[in-house]
Amino acid sequence: MKLNVDGLLVYFPYDYIYPEQFSYMLELKRALDAKGHCLLEMPSGTGKTTTLLSLIVAYMKAHPLELTKLVYCSRTVPEIEKVMEELRKLMNYYEKEMGMEQNILGLALSSRKNLCIHPSVSKEREGKVVDGRCYSLTASFVRARHAADDAIPICDFYEGFDAHGKEFPLPPGVYNLDDLKEYGQLKGWCPYFLARYTITHANIVVYSYHYLLDPKIAEVVSKEITKTSVVVFDEAHNIDNVCIDSMSVKITKRLLDKCSNSIQILETTISNMKESDSKRLEKEYKRLVEGLRDANIARETDMALVNPVLPSEILEEAVPGTIRTAEHFVAFLKRVVEYIKTRLRVQHVVQESPAGFLRDIHTKVCIDRKPLRFTAERLASLIRTLEISDLTDFSPLVTVSHFATLVSTYTKGFTIIIEPFEDRAPTVSNPILYFSCLDSSIAIKPVFNRFQTVVITSGTLSPLDMYPKILDFHPVIMTSFTMTLARPCILPMIVSKGNDQVAMSSRYETREDTAVIRNYGNLLVEIAAAVPDGIVCFFTSYLYLETIVSSWYDQGIIDQLQRHKLLFIETQDAAETSLALINYIKACDNGRGAVLLSVARGKVSEGIDFDHHLGRAVLMFGIPYVYTQSRILRARLEYLRDQFQIRENDFLTFDAMRHAAQCLGRCMRGKTDYGIMVLADKRFSRADKRSKLPKWIQEHLKDTNCNLSTEECVQTCKRWLRQMAQPFSREDQLGISLLTLEQLQSEEMQKKIQQRAQGV
Amino acid sequence: MDDYQTCPKCKTTKYRNPAMILMVNACGHALCESCVELLFAKGSGACPECKCPLRRNNFRIQLFEDPAVDKEVDIRKRILKEFNKRQEDFPTLREYNDYLEEVETIIFNLVFDIDPTNTNKMIDNYKKENKDITQKNRNRQSQEEMELEELLEAEKNQQCEKANLYVNAELEEKKQKHKAREKLIDELMFSDADAKSIVASHVQATAALAKEQPKAAVQAGSGVVKSSKFSSGIQIGLRGQHTNSFLPIPKQEDLPLYRYTAPIFDYDGPPPPSIEMLGKLNYFANIRAANITERAGGYTEAMSCCRALQEAMGGLFYSPQSTHKTAVLATISSTQDTDDMETT
Repeated sequence: MKLNVDGLLVYFPYDYIYPEQFSYMLELKRALDAKGHCLLEMPSGTGKTTTLLSLIVAYMKAHPLELTKLVYCSRTVPEIEKVMEELRKLMNYYEKEMGMEQNILGLALSSRKNLCIHPSVSKEREGKVVDGRCYSLTASFVRARHAADDAIPICDFYEGFDAHGKEFPLPPGVYNLDDLKEYGQLKGWCPYFLARYTITHANIVVYSYHYLLDPKIAEVVSKEITKTSVVVFDEAHNIDNVCIDSMSVKITKRLLDKCSNSIQILETTISNMKESDSKRLEKEYKRLVEGLRDANIARETDMALVNPVLPSEILEEAVPGTIRTAEHFVAFLKRVVEYIKTRLRVQHVVQESPAGFLRDIHTKVCIDRKPLRFTAERLASLIRTLEISDLTDFSPLVTVSHFATLVSTYTKGFTIIIEPFEDRAPTVSNPILYFSCLDSSIAIKPVFNRFQTVVITSGTLSPLDMYPKILDFHPVIMTSFTMTLARPCILPMIVSKGNDQVAMSSRYETREDTAVIRNYGNLLVEIAAAVPDGIVCFFTSYLYLETIVSSWYDQGIIDQLQRHKLLFIETQDAAETSLALINYIKACDNGRGAVLLSVARGKVSEGIDFDHHLGRAVLMFGIPYVYTQSRILRARLEYLRDQFQIRENDFLTFDAMRHAAQCLGRCMRGKTDYGIMVLADKRFSRADKRSKLPKWIQEHLKDTNCNLSTEECVQTCKRWLRQMAQPFSREDQLGISLLTLEQLQSEEMQKKIQQRAQGV
Repeated sequence: MDDYQTCPKCKTTKYRNPAMILMVNACGHALCESCVELLFAKGSGACPECKCPLRRNNFRIQLFEDPAVDKEVDIRKRILKEFNKRQEDFPTLREYNDYLEEVETIIFNLVFDIDPTNTNKMIDNYKKENKDITQKNRNRQSQEEMELEELLEAEKNQQCEKANLYVNAELEEKKQKHKAREKLIDELMFSDADAKSIVASHVQATAALAKEQPKAAVQAGSGVVKSSKFSSGIQIGLRGQHTNSFLPIPKQEDLPLYRYTAPIFDYDGPPPPSIEMLGKLNYFANIRAANITERAGGYTEAMSCCRALQEAMGGLFYSPQSTHKTAVLATISSTQDTDDMETT
């Protein structure tokens, strides 16, 4: 379908379009025109990806000078693959319509683990091991040694790429991870380095968030992306947490012990080298004296250890004299590690600011701020000089060096929390030092500053006004789209009391109450009896899930439940959970029906879709607040309050409701789908909670369904299910929630769409 | 500390004797407290490992897991007392870095007993040469330390203020809510109006309040945020004394706006003819006509004529005794220009 979006010719690879997709394009185009950032919420299952791709590609074709590149960031590898599939469809459509090859190059990038084709290295399972082995085969000194001595192994694929790959650019087309591997096999080139090299001139790049947000990786991979790019963060409802994680460090006692080992290795290597080949150390020393940067000499394969600090903060200065020679630096590291060890020996929880930490480290072990700031860089340089090819052992030391660099660079927006034991097990000593980033805007700021348009989009971004606050940016467009539906195919309900009129709530005071637990159980049993196929339940935490299930056993609720459906439970073990999931799907597929008990914020709640019969009902038992006693959370709340004037309760509710919305959204994956959403907690009916649900759920949440008892809820379900069971074909949707080109262009529809765009 | 720590002399471990405390002396070898008491009963003795002579009162509790680090930190503290030059004392960064490295080498040598005679010589030399700088720097904080101190100070202040403010705000809010609810109940109980309308008006009032509240909170919050730096990185306060500070612009007081009033002149003579009248009364006959260039500047012969007349008649009825002064509002509209000319 060829569309006219506000004067722009857009090729849309499908024959039908949803009205909200068209509105989405309109808003997106405005943001691109304005060269500003935007925040767009559109329900899952309405084709966000294809809408985004088709509009942006059309825009790139129409204005090749103003917009040169699309960087599409997604969360997981399967999601990246999905995007590539959509892109391929779009490009095929272009080819068919225009009748010629398109001059657009799109590729996906992932870690070495997913792209390696080296016969033995690619067999490794763990990402870090693959990185380490790759480094040991491709580092420049290894290759130099190989030139002298053929017995030293190198990677043939990298050699092939290095010899020829740079002269012959990748031909235009769409390459997902498998295509890249295939191409690499065919040519004998390393797909990973080929992809990384190609990023600079590809039109469309699809990769993970971390390649842009994590300063450790961004500096290496995404350095040369031009300003005239549009960056899309898909499924971005958790983006603030990603930002925070990328800047935070966690140091445990075990990690420090490993550090001591690595320091010893460094020491022996240095003394060995001093005897055999002191020239190299001297060379490094001279370079550091001159204050030369590594950047101009480092090769692409050597960048295995990198600076955790954002580019704008890196000092353009020579390494301070205290850590210039290798031995001094090792002694310095030793002191840092020993100092942190003494700090971990606390008996009670300590919280302090980076400034306090710096003063303390100065008085205790005489370490100034400046050398501390250079730790990460100096360590990288030392490891390179020592030509240590096995990097996997050094990761603890690298973590500590990152911590040292970060703590001395940023004095604001960070905090240090040292906990001698976990709250749940106060007798077991397990000291951990958290260096926690409190300000999610720190990591994302360079992205906003660098690119002309940043699009943040997801199915659940409500309440929209929170994101600009916590990410500290000013979007030109901030819109939430609803789903136009031909029939009311979602049924959100708030169940606030059981049949015995006892209020249902997961409040801390009442969560142990047997009446509440029994009511939750009865609700599930009755719904299981009324709803066909799959039912997914979400609890607020693993702990809560376990206590409830054990009381259900005592109360006989589990037996009642198993009369209707099979029961599966998510656990903290990933393998166990995936096994449960497979069997859950099997049980749903063969018509037996199943119930899956899982946890909000767990693996199931993010990224696993329960479309159609896999999830006919979602039950949310309680409001999924975070563990509010966590000190890191407390510190972050305080910071948000002081810096951004966000009240603690507002943020907690916001965070709880976005997770609740994520869980509820699991069952709706398209317009032909239908599902019941039960919010089983009295508190959901309060205005402050309800108003924070996404618009597309709120629209269907009628006032009459806001304060139901179990019995009423089941009655409503039955009526609604009967209605949904009627045959439903495409013709029913056409003209309302699905449009042909003619329908789209009809005046009436255009008017509606205009209204929609303005009304929000 | 960990369970596997052992005293090298008596082989006690922390596991067997949780009360064991390890101590270190200048040589960097550890001994447990009871061994120290036993071996150094006389007050001095030799280290059982390296045989170097030690004094008992130099034993300190071991802070770090690795006693060598304890030793190093000790030496470092001693050395840094002497070697306390700052970056400000050097012309270039390079020289400062070289100095730092030299200090580091000295410490390194002392810790590992490399070349002790030369090292000690170096230290002595340095002490002699830099006596005054050392003395001076001892009482001076380095710039870095100062920065840290300030940061800490600012943090402390902020915390205090904020804690108070938010607690108060929250209390206030609670009180208000409580009051509103009581009021509603009172009204429902005693007022004669329709219950529905009372509830409706109450709901409206609370909604209006709720709208205001966040704003108030924001204001309260923003009032507190007192940054110690401008966005450009220039410090507010304190630091200004060290770098060349800008003179503060004196605060201007808020005076009422200036308003023009026509000046009043002492004029004792009879009123002169107004400018318009001059032409009609044919005064211009006695005056040189203005040429083109003069006219371009806005000058007309009427001006000088009027002025001459005013001067001529101004003192006509002058009597020094009379306190009475005839304030001539000499046809303000017409003579405005002339007045201006006189004042300038």
